[in-house]
Amino acid sequence: MSSVTLVNSLTGLLILTSFLVIEVKQPRWSAVMYSLQSIVLVGIFIVLASATHANELYLWAASAFVTKVLLVPWILYRALSQVGGQEQPRNALSLTLSFILAACAIAVSFLVVNQIQLKAAEPFKPALAISMAHFFFGELCILTQRNLFKQVLGFCLMENGSHLTLALLAFNAPELVEIGIATDALFGVIVMVVLGNQIFRNLHTLDTSDLRTLKG
Amino acid sequence: MTETTYLLWLLLIPLLLSLLAFVARWFGALTRIIVVLAHLVSVTLVLVLSVLTVQAVLGSGRVFGFSGWLHVDALGAVFLLITGVVSFLIGLYSIGYTDQQLRTGGFDSRKLSTYYGLFNLFLFTMLLLVTSNNIIMMWVAMEAGTLGSAFMVGVHGDRASLEAAWKYLVICLVGEAFGLYGTVLVYSAAFNTLQVPANAVLWTEILKNAQALDPAMIKIAFVFVLVGFGTKAGLFPMHAWLPDTYSEAPSPVSAMLSAVFATCALLVIFRFSVITSIVLGPSFVQILFLVFGTISVAAASFFMYVQHDVKRLLAYSSIENIGFILVAFGLGGPAGIFAGLLQTINQSLVKSLLWCASGNIFIKYRARNLERVKGILQAIPATGVLLIVGALAVVGSPPFNIFLSKFLIVTAGLAAGYTWLMIVCLLLLLVVFAAFFRFIASMLFGEKPQDVAAGESNWLTLLPGGVLILLILGLGLFIPSPLTALLRGASGLLLTGNAGGQIAVTDVKDFLLPLARLLR
Repeated sequence: MSSVTLVNSLTGLLILTSFLVIEVKQPRWSAVMYSLQSIVLVGIFIVLASATHANELYLWAASAFVTKVLLVPWILYRALSQVGGQEQPRNALSLTLSFILAACAIAVSFLVVNQIQLKAAEPFKPALAISMAHFFFGELCILTQRNLFKQVLGFCLMENGSHLTLALLAFNAPELVEIGIATDALFGVIVMVVLGNQIFRNLHTLDTSDLRTLKG
Repeated sequence: MTETTYLLWLLLIPLLLSLLAFVARWFGALTRIIVVLAHLVSVTLVLVLSVLTVQAVLGSGRVFGFSGWLHVDALGAVFLLITGVVSFLIGLYSIGYTDQQLRTGGFDSRKLSTYYGLFNLFLFTMLLLVTSNNIIMMWVAMEAGTLGSAFMVGVHGDRASLEAAWKYLVICLVGEAFGLYGTVLVYSAAFNTLQVPANAVLWTEILKNAQALDPAMIKIAFVFVLVGFGTKAGLFPMHAWLPDTYSEAPSPVSAMLSAVFATCALLVIFRFSVITSIVLGPSFVQILFLVFGTISVAAASFFMYVQHDVKRLLAYSSIENIGFILVAFGLGGPAGIFAGLLQTINQSLVKSLLWCASGNIFIKYRARNLERVKGILQAIPATGVLLIVGALAVVGSPPFNIFLSKFLIVTAGLAAGYTWLMIVCLLLLLVVFAAFFRFIASMLFGEKPQDVAAGESNWLTLLPGGVLILLILGLGLFIPSPLTALLRGASGLLLTGNAGGQIAVTDVKDFLLPLARLLR
């Protein structure tokens, strides 16, 4: 199997792991599934690095391993374990509807990516479309999940989508660019978890449908 | 001191003093005085350095620093001026506001240290955003600003403010994820085009090579950027977080979010719009601006009419004003852009004044709703004056500054052939006028509640408002020539993508001539 095919196939695994993150019943396991997804992402970076001889990508893979495979899942696993006894808020959408919306996101992404004429992007167009769809899955997760911490995971999925797009289109990008994005995303997760914990301590709920004092 | 050192200190001062404010919580009895002094020094020096940098830009066209990573051109200078002036005045107001909160038990020394630490950290991120030439750093600054300000929104720790903080954080982070995706696409397009790929991160370099960028990628990227950073600016329909956040946050925080943060989000959109206009021609950007601008003005006007909470009214008014700015930019041409930039400055000043007034009302009445807030002229007459001037200015009455900028926008629209759109905008302004009139009349007059004692809290809650009134009135009567020069330079840059570009518009009379021709 050529590296290009391998990259394109591995991105298929991203979709599968995204579904596991969103749909797994125990929220704690969502964090583990996210870690699993990040391992796939790290794998894609390594394959891309060897295929394109872009040494920067090895550094990306290393920093993504530390932040996305270890740190972020650990922070979220701990946060979700503390509230394990809580009754889990139900999803706003049924599984079937989620599947239909996800399929629409993939179709739209393929149509959009098809318009891009960039030479470097040509072999990786399927992967590129999936990275964009992945971004929309994250948004779908935020919109449909009522558990505060699962919304944080939605944010992480969106961020993984952008990260993969960046790697596919600009794999020689300076490490500093990647570090800036990765660190900021890590801080984003930390701040959301701190605020989520504060809400749980004061309001004794993680269900966003209980947060209805304000009208929008 | 050289121009590059101005930029260095402009960023270092609020960052270092923010750290000092955080650390000062362990200084015991000295905490309060150290925190307030650090804050005062920070906002004052930021004002001075902002003015000096703007002056340098007026002299040499643009200022660079740190191997091109920092950069202020005429466009950046307009937003730097807004950030410097508003942060200073709202910074002063904060001291009066928190002093009152300390006396009533709303704040303790620890909360004070957190508040001023976050305020100055937020100021640092805004200055980084405005002075950044690195598009990824621009995004990082925007994200860091959101993360820092979320805790300021929820500083009171009650149910409503925590809910507002969560909503703010989630919706804005999703918005910024869109912004990041758009930024990554622009960067990737430039990365594959520029001869020195390392420069693909610099806005000035991308702009120079914009002609060669992939049009499809730039088109997709701009939609992501507009949706993403438009969420932060509060454009309809991505505005859902804004009324809750602005109404639950302490008034000075709402002022900073509305007059500085939302405005800086516009700067990022404009920076990307210049690139997009060069790649795709101006009509794509203009249509998007006109559509988002008009629906924002329309939705906000009607929402304003049904509000019962003064801070929610101001939040929707903020959406309406940002919408108007986009309409002006959507008209295109030198006149529309010049008027749009003037409106950006004017609305920031008027919004700051109104947030100061709303803060004073909250301090006095412990409420924001029409049912309780009555008899302001009896209870706090000086705040009543701030409110009257702010309300008259924001609805666009002469002789205040927003009258001038909205008049110029409508004139530019008529001259550009958008007669029906301008008629719709004027009708919507009537709705805005009615909404404000209903509110202000009900709050100013009538009997104040028995349990509300007459008298203002302290002079620091009034002084910034007084200065703002002078600025609002002054800018309504004439535009000083350095400001005209800055606006001309910024408009030229937005129109041509060329930092040295100047536009033919030199003064207000340039708008009156086409109007006179139309009327004839």
